[in-house]
Amino acid sequence: MSESTAPVSGAPASAPPPSEDAPESQSPASYRAAGTTGKKKKKHADIAVRLSNVTKRFGDNTAVNSVSLRIRGGSVYGLIGPNGAGKTTTFSMLAGYLRPTEGSLEVLGFSPTNVPALRGRLGVLPQDAMLPASDKVGEFLVHMGRLQNLSAEEAEKEARETLAEVEGKDWWDQKCGTLSHGMAKRVGIAQAFLGDPEVVLLDEPTAGLDPRIAYEVRQIIKGRKGRATLIVSSHNLQELEEICDGAAILDRGRLVASGSISELTGSAEEIHIKIAPGPLPLQKVIDLPVVKHAEFVEETRDLVIYFERKQTDAETVIGQALWVLLQDRVMISGVTKGRGLEKRVIDLTDNG
Amino acid sequence: MKPIQEIGLIVGRELKKNLRGVKGLILLALSLIGGTAVALLLVKAFQRKLEGANPEVLRQAQGELWSEWFHDKAVGEHLSTAPISLVFMLPLCIWLSPALIWLAGFDGVSGEVQHRTIRYWTVRTRRVSYYVGKFLGLWATITVMTLAMHLLMWIVTLSQGLYPVGDVLLWGPRLWLVSVPIVGAWCGIAVLIGSLFRTPITSLLVVGFSFFGIFVLGSFVPFILDSMVRGGGSPTANVLRGFYPNGYDVFMLSPKIERVAIGLAACLAFAGVPTALGAFILEKKDV
Repeated sequence: MSESTAPVSGAPASAPPPSEDAPESQSPASYRAAGTTGKKKKKHADIAVRLSNVTKRFGDNTAVNSVSLRIRGGSVYGLIGPNGAGKTTTFSMLAGYLRPTEGSLEVLGFSPTNVPALRGRLGVLPQDAMLPASDKVGEFLVHMGRLQNLSAEEAEKEARETLAEVEGKDWWDQKCGTLSHGMAKRVGIAQAFLGDPEVVLLDEPTAGLDPRIAYEVRQIIKGRKGRATLIVSSHNLQELEEICDGAAILDRGRLVASGSISELTGSAEEIHIKIAPGPLPLQKVIDLPVVKHAEFVEETRDLVIYFERKQTDAETVIGQALWVLLQDRVMISGVTKGRGLEKRVIDLTDNG
Repeated sequence: MKPIQEIGLIVGRELKKNLRGVKGLILLALSLIGGTAVALLLVKAFQRKLEGANPEVLRQAQGELWSEWFHDKAVGEHLSTAPISLVFMLPLCIWLSPALIWLAGFDGVSGEVQHRTIRYWTVRTRRVSYYVGKFLGLWATITVMTLAMHLLMWIVTLSQGLYPVGDVLLWGPRLWLVSVPIVGAWCGIAVLIGSLFRTPITSLLVVGFSFFGIFVLGSFVPFILDSMVRGGGSPTANVLRGFYPNGYDVFMLSPKIERVAIGLAACLAFAGVPTALGAFILEKKDV
């Protein structure tokens, strides 16, 4: 399987060489003190995450099958796929919870199980992992921070800051066991962001949340853009389309597509115009110089216009096509760039 | 961050969690009340039998009692001058400890594996440190509980005024310290067995059955075997006793330093071998 790379955002920096005997990573505080990174912007590793022919089997069941992937530092990357696609298994291997049966994984150049090298540099929101019920939120976060090599003062400061970031500063003295699902999810996100890690894995961060809380969680994730390489898995494709720069689509353990969101959705190559009932001057649209090809799907009343991404952009094509259609008094009910991630995923994964 | 620092942080959390939680508080209260009450009842029964006896007769009777109890004349002689309530507290404490360890520690690892809570730790700490921290945390918890039981008995003994303060302060810590390695041995076994399962209820049952099995094989069966051999001393019984951590109290109570060292080494092996094995298994398995 060929390797795929997510789009770059943020300045590249060399990843440290892979080694199990790597020296202890610097704490976030010492990072900042050294002036190598700021709280808002930091240098990102060129390749933050690399999977090479990774396979994971559970008995006879192959959950992940020879997946190769490279994710560039600083990007927000989505892992997409239906249930049983292997998203959570891939996540679990990236977080070091599971070991691959075959192949290798690297996070910032290190094996995910190399805790000393990745301490404080990798944050993870595991799916369905319960917070320790008897711990108070504050002491849990401080304990996590202490294990990331922060001093007691630094750990408390970081814990209060990240808890405030997820709008949970009032929960400091509340026991984790008494939190609602949405609150617990946000505390989970806070622990993943603790100490400003370089790579953050978020497994289904909005699963089971009501729309308002899910929106807030998306805003929190967006707020972290540029501060870390974020890898997000979700069933909510609209959400991923909104927040991700790139994505990998998995189906039955295999990588079926990957690339930037615009590549995956074809938003740089096609537009869809929803036409209300009535005549359509299709030939006039096809004759436009920016249009490569156009087709009209009568059943859905969807006008699909294809164009050459190197010659023009979607906005120009939309403008010219709408001009032609409106001159002929065509009623338009909607315009979208590309097919939408949802349609793309269905096309790629719904083949029996 | 060094493994020792990771372990220290985990032990601190375990101690806080165990001693502050409802389960820990109930266990502490029950062991304090029950342990002290039973020890005092035993003392009362012994003293009633020898009411009015002069101190020398009392000392001699005490020596005979402990020789019989520990099957070791030297140890009996050695303990004959110790405050009797404090000595009664030791076997009681050693007998109660496996139950405390069973109830306090069966879900230490499995509870966090079942609900994947362990995943918050494994990205921040070496799995070996996590496991060793869990083991040492349980050991420290039960050690604190047994110290509380002993402390209460020291106070009761001092308040009775039957023994000089020096004797209580000398024998009290000495007798409590004997229980510490034995507690460690049971903790090592409990954490290993408990960590092999993903559901706490399975851990609870298997640890309980294992402890009972160790008791039967290491204490009850040798007792039967000894009673079948005229004059006692079945060689098989002696081998089986070697697999019973509680049997090493007599070694550590001995006035001979080499016997103390053997008892200590055996208990540390009971604690260390399962801990090394459990840490190795956790290191290799998917969480």
